[in-house]
Parts: sequence; structure tokens; C-alpha cells
Amino acid sequence: MSNQQVDMNNLKKEIPKGIFIKGLILLVIGIAAAVFAYQIDPLRASFNNIIALLLVVSVGMGAIFLVALEHIVGAVWSVPFRRIAEHQSFIFLATPLLAIPIILNMHDIYHWTHLDAVLADPILYQKSPYLNEPFFIWRSVGIFVIMSLFMFMFYRNSRKQDETKSQKTSKFNAVLSAPFMMLFAISITMVAVDYAMSLEPHWFSTIFGVYYFAGTFATAISVLTLLVLRLKSNGNLVSKINGNHYYSLGGLMFAFTAFWMYMAFSQYMLIWYANIPEETFWFLPRMEHGWEYMSIALIFIKFIIPFGLLLNRNSKMNPSRLKVAAYWIIGAHIYDMYWLVMPTYNHASGTHGPVFGWIEVGFVALSAGIIMVVYYLAANKKNHLPIGDPKLQRGLDFHL
Amino acid sequence: MSTIDYTKNEVFVEGNRTLKQIDDVIIAPLDRIPNLKFFIALGFTLTLLLIGTVAIGLSFYYGTGLWGNNNPVGWAWPIVNFVFWVGIGHAGTLISAILFLLRQKWRNGIARFAEAMTIFAVITALIFPIIHTGRPWVAAVYLLPYPNQHSLWVNFNSPLLWDVFAVSTYFTVSLVFWYVGLIPDFAVLRDRATGKAKKVIYSIFSLGWRFSNRHWQHYEMTYLILAGLATPLVLSVHTIVSFDFAVSILPGWHTTIFPPYFVAGAIFSGFAMVQNSLVVIRNVFDMQDLIPLNTLETMNKIILLTGTMVGYAYSMEFFIAWYSGSQPEYFTFVNRAFGPYSWAYWIMFSCNVFIPQLFWIKKIRRSIPLMFIIAIFVNIGMWFERFVITVTSLSRDYLPSSWGYYSPTITDIAILLGSFGLFFTLTLLFTRFLPSIAIAEIKAVSEGAQPTHHGEDHE
Amino acid sequence: MSKLYSIAALFDTPNSIMDAAAKVQDAGYENYDVNTPYPVHGMDDQMKLRPSKMGYYTITIGLTFMSLMLFFMYWVYNIDYPQVIGGKPLFPLPAFVPIMFEATVLTGAVLTVAIMIIFYFKFPNNSHPLHDSDYMKAVSSDKFGICIEATDPKFDINAVKDFLKSIGATQIDEIYFDEEEVNHKNKVLEPKFVIGLILIAGFTSLSVYLHMNKLLYIPPFDWMMVQHKVTAQDHSDFFENGISSRQPVEGTVARGFMPYLYVDDIEGASENLQNPYPATAENIELGKRKYLTYCSPCHGDLGKGDSRLKGQFPNGPTIHSDKIVDWTDGRLYHVITEGQNVMPGYKKTVTRKERWSIVNYVRTLQRALDAKVEDMQ
Repeated sequence: MSNQQVDMNNLKKEIPKGIFIKGLILLVIGIAAAVFAYQIDPLRASFNNIIALLLVVSVGMGAIFLVALEHIVGAVWSVPFRRIAEHQSFIFLATPLLAIPIILNMHDIYHWTHLDAVLADPILYQKSPYLNEPFFIWRSVGIFVIMSLFMFMFYRNSRKQDETKSQKTSKFNAVLSAPFMMLFAISITMVAVDYAMSLEPHWFSTIFGVYYFAGTFATAISVLTLLVLRLKSNGNLVSKINGNHYYSLGGLMFAFTAFWMYMAFSQYMLIWYANIPEETFWFLPRMEHGWEYMSIALIFIKFIIPFGLLLNRNSKMNPSRLKVAAYWIIGAHIYDMYWLVMPTYNHASGTHGPVFGWIEVGFVALSAGIIMVVYYLAANKKNHLPIGDPKLQRGLDFHL
Repeated sequence: MSTIDYTKNEVFVEGNRTLKQIDDVIIAPLDRIPNLKFFIALGFTLTLLLIGTVAIGLSFYYGTGLWGNNNPVGWAWPIVNFVFWVGIGHAGTLISAILFLLRQKWRNGIARFAEAMTIFAVITALIFPIIHTGRPWVAAVYLLPYPNQHSLWVNFNSPLLWDVFAVSTYFTVSLVFWYVGLIPDFAVLRDRATGKAKKVIYSIFSLGWRFSNRHWQHYEMTYLILAGLATPLVLSVHTIVSFDFAVSILPGWHTTIFPPYFVAGAIFSGFAMVQNSLVVIRNVFDMQDLIPLNTLETMNKIILLTGTMVGYAYSMEFFIAWYSGSQPEYFTFVNRAFGPYSWAYWIMFSCNVFIPQLFWIKKIRRSIPLMFIIAIFVNIGMWFERFVITVTSLSRDYLPSSWGYYSPTITDIAILLGSFGLFFTLTLLFTRFLPSIAIAEIKAVSEGAQPTHHGEDHE
Repeated sequence: MSKLYSIAALFDTPNSIMDAAAKVQDAGYENYDVNTPYPVHGMDDQMKLRPSKMGYYTITIGLTFMSLMLFFMYWVYNIDYPQVIGGKPLFPLPAFVPIMFEATVLTGAVLTVAIMIIFYFKFPNNSHPLHDSDYMKAVSSDKFGICIEATDPKFDINAVKDFLKSIGATQIDEIYFDEEEVNHKNKVLEPKFVIGLILIAGFTSLSVYLHMNKLLYIPPFDWMMVQHKVTAQDHSDFFENGISSRQPVEGTVARGFMPYLYVDDIEGASENLQNPYPATAENIELGKRKYLTYCSPCHGDLGKGDSRLKGQFPNGPTIHSDKIVDWTDGRLYHVITEGQNVMPGYKKTVTRKERWSIVNYVRTLQRALDAKVEDMQ
């Protein structure tokens, strides 16, 4: 046990420069594309901006959730990955970068920001206590501040524990994560409702927050898996992290892939079956002008294919196969966000059918760049294992 | 044990026993004549069961007019009870399957018991739809698709038919899962049995199990597969039960969060019921150290978690009812909270959302009498949740001229009591006649049971 | 002396059984088995067992039955009995998903377990030589055992015993086949068994007979037959006239019923009745159908009086005679309604509209068989 401890203090702390360089390239391309896109087609750019924001929120806020989840349930197997998740959660700090352009362009995107439209429409008028610009902005700021606060607290405690190795810190984190969980539930629901659901302000679905959460969790854990695999192969982690740990990561990816399908099916099925026009109108644009193929493809992309990729036990144990699945799930989440957001762009711009071009690619590159660069800046030259955590040894010894 | 030592695994089976002693302790209730506490408990549950049986008998003789169901509330206590009991069953599968997949070791001590409760809860639940068919002896004729002379088929479009498939699948798979787990234990019993009759019975049920590793290998894989299948199954069952309500267009029933919300509620009430039963059983059979306080505390945490999830769903429903801008939808929720059934709504809300919050306090989580009382409140709350959903929406729907107020009759109450009687009678008998803790599973996780130097990194 | 099944050795700790299993495997034995009271982790690797394939059965069975269930529901709704329910399409896939899912899980779970128990374990099997041995009783509780079977190609009783002792066995037993169990044959014609079958058959028949013929007629089980309600045309003391239902008010007419005013008045009918139904294609088509059903057996398909009945009943006259061609529509209608000579009246079997349609059709036939030049234009 003791020589393990020595090992940990001497672990390599520099993470591959490649992450930074690739991230920077993507970021530059992304920013250039975004700025250019805002010049020539601000409407399309701002809708793509929403996709990028939802993706980055999934990765960053999802990571905070993963950290808190480990604290609150006292999970053991995930302890060796907690620091990586904590660094990953720094990505959340970059969300204003993507949220501010959306807020500046709100009038183009959100129908309910038009006062005359709200006054003419009794339903929108009724919703105006919630759907109005100041409250929208305050909600976003509030979510950002509260979530960042918790993120810093978790991170600070964790860093402090590296030195003190105190059991009290673990306990304090567990206590801290309880209120976090409740605030997180409210926050992620608000993100989903505000940024995605209110694109069609007449539409409503109680499950929508959970739907977005399902994708968020799968994406956050996939990004975490990729980071773990990269750092492991770079020698930043101890060799004791093996198939048993990968299996658990893969298992969660698998479970939340299925969970997403469950949420998506529940939402579609109930609306399809009851067939009430005030709800079905949201699905109708997704069933015409080429979107019908996109909708059917969504089932395959987001559920059937990753489900098949991860079903086998070996595919969860094997790093290279796990990597494929993780990339796939992240891609599927981007596709899902595209499917959620872009039909409204058709509606707003008077176009028909899915649009795809350099603007879409550029914004995805932007978010990928943000994720990689921020992670690099947060994690480089730091410990990648929570070396002070009393559960760490148990976590490393974890066996199926 | 007031502070947690994070460097050590928590202990979920207290008392460091040898493998032989584990056999002895678990099998003891089967070999000795039970104590007085058992017979008092059994007498009580049998009385309840008798009340229920008489009420059902009267219902068969005089018809369902004895029940409170009437226009506009055509679905009332029977479906409330059905949903309630199916929900109770979910905790068992959660413990036996989902926690197995999550490798939560504390489940091993209570998994068998929880699975048994699942089966009994589903049996109890099945009574309600079956008596509702009016002629239960021909229920299968209406419910199952089979070629018949009318060349008619059942309605595959109907959520009620999905229910038939879901609940019967759930019952069958739970039973198979339970029995697969019991096979090695029957073999243990067989090898310990002294009387001839016992030996024959146990031999038959053990199928001739030989503890062979070549068998264990497939057995473990199959157990894992069953757990993997039971996990989505348990979610699907209450999802489909929620479809019974949610595919309609009735305000308060038709909302997309119903499936996960029903599942969370089911696990919530199920855990409360399992916790209640465990507290009673460990007292009646003196199993304080096999079902330690740590296990109960963990269960209380899950009650807290699911209770909060249910609270999220309540709030979300209310918020979206307002946000939707749909008048009937909003009216239904205001009517729930402040209309004629507001008493039921606030019982539901306080029992399900507020009272479980007490479990944030560690002292309460570890106090047997307090946790018992809170779990009873949770069960009351969850029963009322189904009552509120079913009755308030029906009693005041789109047409104000046909609004009405529903009250149950004495027969309804007697049948509900009887369902509790049936459930607890079966539970008590199970504990008396079958090993209520999985012997092989407990042995496998007991101290020193697994080899120490044959890990993967060894090779 | 009964036949030797195996040599069985007991070990005390999980570590020692792991080592022992590896050594037995390395020594080249093939027909051996390890018996442990619970699954010991890592034992599969020590015994070099190939990973269990049960998962493939589950997925194959599950997907097969899922497709079958989908096809079945498709067949029911689209081929066998197409029916629109609740405004849903004939192939409502989302509504089929729950049942497809349940079918997958049910068959996957139950059949996997059945395959495991029946084909892999060859259970139920309670006559295995290990049963009832001290060895079995030890490994079912707290010992760990290895048992090398006599069928192993390398088997030699003393060598095996020495080998097992050398790898640290604490106890070594010889396990023999129980001759009685091995040679036991179930005799189907054993008198006890046959008598038992006969008794069961008799009891089942008797109870079914009593149930169907006696029990159902004894109160309260006769409640489906004996019900406290008044049925139509029953006797009842409630009303003075003793019948169960009230008579309608004098002159009451059933809805849609139109009384026929010319029952015995053929002249009145022929003078006063007008055909209320115009000779549209639809009405003529209806008349044709009814004519072919009710009239053509005697009057012939084209009304030429060529009966199909071949003298079993008096031939009807042709309807193309001048007499009938000159009849008014009212007279024709009257004859159809009330009958004439041996022809019965059709007012009970053919509705009013249908009778008038037959009149239209008869007129069509008459005109078709005696077409004039201007009809062709």
C-alpha cells in the first residue's frame, strides 16, 4: 500500500500537449467560423450557437454532477477518476462565451421576446411571468453562478484533501452535494426549458428536462471516459486502473443510452397516442421535408448503434472499443441537439428541411475546441488522481 | 458507529461468522417452531385477509355496486390499489437486479427477501384487475390473444392490454429470478435435511444441484442476464401502468413525465414497504445482525432520494400545467391543491415530499421507531398519490355538469385491508418456510470468502 | 462391488482450492470438477473454462420472439381482422413497442433459464452419485472440493489419490455409483402407477361431471340462470293481466313502419299506388339483387318463366306477357307484397324499398327483352 502512495506522488503531471494544440486549432477555426457566420447569416449562426451551448453545458455541468454524484452515493470505483471529472467541470466556466451571443441575439431566436407577439397571443401572455427577457437572463446568470460556486467548492475541497488526507473533507463533500443535487435538478431543467424548449414557446413537455439530462449524463461520462483513456495511455494514471474500471464507465454509458431512449420514447409515445394538437405540432415539423429521415436516424444513432456497441461485456472492458463508443455517444448527443433546435430554425427562417454546412461544423469545432483547451488549462501539471482521498486505495483495488 | 471510515468497506453482515454458522443462522427459522411473536403477527394478518376475502366474496355475490365507483369516477380504489401494490413490487426487483448490476454489496442480505416481496406484491396487485373483470375464472379469455371462434383478437392498441403483458411478464420473470437464486439454497437445505419428507421436497426443488463450478459458471452468467433483463423490465412495468393514465387526454393524467415519475414513486413506496417489513421481520425472527442497521440506513437514503425525485415530478407537473397555458390543465392542478380533494393532495404532498426530508438527519435515519413511522407515512402518501391522480382528475373533468364527489364504501376499505392481509401473510409464511436470506450469495461476500492472491494483475 | 465414479478431495480454504484446481488442470486431467458452496471468483480461469455463452441464447431468443410478436400483431391488424381503433393507423408501431419489449424479456429470461437447466445442467437429476455423499454435504456447507472422475483418460486410482494428497487435500473419498439408483427403471406398467392413473382419471371425470351437471344448478352457483328479473313474455303478478310488460297504447305504430292500406284491395292498389323510388342505377341494382334472391327461382333469371326448380313447384308465369307489361306499378307492387294464387306475399321478408326496387327491376327487364328502336338511341 505504501509504495502505491509513493507512486502517486511521482505520477507524471503533464498531459499530452496534443490536446492543447488540437484544441487551439479547433478553437481558432471555430471562433473564425462563428464570427464569420454571425456576419453573413446571424439567424442560422445563433441557432447553431444554441447547439454548441447545450453541448458544452452537457460536458461541463454534467461533470459537476458526476463529481457530486460520487460524493453523495459514496461510490468507490469512480474515485480514481474524480479529479479528471473535476478538471472537466471547469469547462462549465466557458459557457458564458457561448451564452452571451445567444442572449444578444434573443430577438432573432425566441419568438416570446417580441412584446407585440406576446400581447397578441393569450398563451404567450399567460407565460410572460416566466418567459421574459430579464428573468431569462437572471436565470442564466443564477445557474452559472450557483453551479460554478459548487464546482469551485468541490474542487477546492478535493485539492485541500490532497494535502490533509482528512476524512472530514469527504464527509463535508457528501453533505455539500445534497443541496447541489436539488439545485442541479432545477438548473438543468431550466437550461433545457429556457434554451431549447422555449424555442417553440407554445410547446410544453414535463419530461423535457429529464430528456436533456439523459443526454447530458451520457455525454459527460463519455468525455470523461475519453479523458481517462487518453491520460492512462499517456501514463498520467496508475496502472491499477484496468478493465474493471472501464467496465463501470462503459456500463454507465450503456445505461444512459438506454435511459435516453426511455425518455424519448415516453415523450413521443404519449404525445403521439393522445394526439392533442397543442402538443403534436412540435413533432410535425420533425416529420416532414426530410426531417422524417433525421428523426428515424436519431433512434439508430442515439440508441440502437451505441446500444449494440456497448452490449457485449468485452466492448466495455476494451479501451479501443470503449473509445469508439464514447466518440459515438458524443456525436449522437450533438445530433440530438441539432434535431431539437434546428426545426425551429426552419420555422424562423422560412426554409424547409435540415440544413447542413460549414456553419454547423464550425460551431461544433468551436465547442470541441473550448472543451479541449479549457480542460488542458485546468488540468495540466496538476494531480490527476485525488491522492488524498481515503477511498482512493479501495477505488484502485476495485474488482468486479 | 457514528462516523464513517472512508478507507474501509462498510459492513453489511455483522458478526464475523464461518460459512457453517451462516447456514445455521439462516436456516434456523425453518427448523424450529416459531415463537409467540410470529403467531400473533400471523393471527393479525390472517384476520385482515379474512376481512378482505369476505368483502370480495360479497362483491362477487352482489356485484360491484358495493364499491364506491360511480359516474364520473369510474376508476377508483381498485386501480389505486392495483397501482399501489405493483409499485410496492418494484423495490424488490430494484434491490435484486439493479443493485446487483451496480454491485451494491449491502443488497445481498435482503435481496431474497425483497424478491419474495415483489412476487407477493404482484400477486396482491393482480387481485384487483382480476376481480374487476367480474368473472375472474374466465379472465384469461378476455385478456390473452388466442385463436377463437369469433376470430376476434385483443386490442393491442390498449394500454390496459399492455398492462396484462407487462405485469404477467414481470411476475413470471421475477418468479424465475427468485427460483434461480433459490436453487443452491434448496441444495443446502437438502444436504442438511434429516426428515425424509423434507429431503424429498428439497431434492425436487433443488433439481439435483451439485455446486459444480462448471455449473456455477453458467449460473452466474444467467443470473447476470436475468438481472440485466429485470432492470428494464421493472422500469417498463410501471411505465406501462403510467400509460394507462397518460395516453388519455384527461388533464392531470396526460403528461409526459408520468413514466419516470411513476417508476420513481414505485421505488419510493416499495422501499418504504420493504423497510417496514424488514423492521418487523428482524424483530419477529430475531435477525438483528443479519439485517443490520447499516442496510436499513442505506434504504432510508434511497427513500430520501426517490422521495425527492417524486417531489421534482410534482413541481414539474405543476409548473408545466401553468406554463402550458392550457386552461383545463391548470385548473386540474389548482383543483387538486385547493379543490374538494385538497385534503388528499396535502396528505400526499407532505407524506411524500416533506416527511422523508427528515432522513437528511443521520440520527433519524438510524432510529428504528422513527424510520418505521416515516416509512409508514411514505406508504400512506404514495397510496394517496394514486388516489389523487385517479380520483381528482375524473371527478372534475372537462364537463362541469357531470362533476361529482367520490367516497369509498366499507367494502372498498375491507378489500384494501384484505390486500394488506394477503401480502403480509405470504411474507410471514415465506420467512418461516424458505431461507429468507440467500445463503450462497451471503457466503460469497462474507469475510475471507474470496481467494486473495488470484487477481488479474497476478497473472 | 459397485462401480467407482470418482475420487473426491476436500480443501479448507478458497486459496487452497484455487491452487489445487490450477494444479489438476496443469496435470492434464480432463474429467474433473470443482465443487464450492458459492461461486469462487477466478475459478473459471484456473480451470481454463471458456466464457459462458448464455448471453447469445438470450439475445437470439429475445430478438426472434420480438420479431414474431411484431409480425403477429401486424398480421392481426392488417391481414386477419383490419380494424381502426382509436383513430390509430393499422400499423401503430409505437403502440406495439411495449408488447414487443415484454415479449423479448419474457422469452429471453424464461428460455435462457430453461436452456441452462435442461441442456447445460441436464437437470433435474437427483440420482447423481455425488448426492448424499459426505463430500456433497461438506461442499454444500463450508468445504471446497475437487472430484476427478474415473472416466478421465489419465485416471488411475492410486496415482490420483497420491496426487490429490500431494496438492494438499485434507480428506479424500472414493465415490461409487449407487447401483440401485443407477439401475433403477421407471416401470410404467407397475400396478400402483396404473391404479393411480385410473383413480386420477376417474376423479377428474367425476368432478367435471358433477361440476357441469350438478353444481351449476345448485344455488348460489346457478345465478347465471336464475336471476331476479322479469323477462319478456314472462308471467308477473305485478300487473293485473299477469304479463310481465305493458301493452302499447292503442294505435301505436313502430318507428319506421308504414301500414299497407290495400291488403285485400288489388284494384285500389293498382290505381292509387305510385312508385316512390325513381329508377336510378342504385335502386335497380338493389332490385336486381333482391329479384335474383327471391323471384328468380320461380320466374327465372330474366323473368321468362323458366323456373330453376324443375317442376318441384309450379312454374311462375313469364313477366314479359302483355298482361303483366300493362300492369301498373301499383299492381305489381301489390302482387309482390300480398302474393297471388300460389305465389306467397313477400312483405315480411323484403322491405318496402326493396319491393319497389324489384318493381323497377322488373320494368327494366321488360324493357330490355322487348327493346324498341328508340331505346337503342
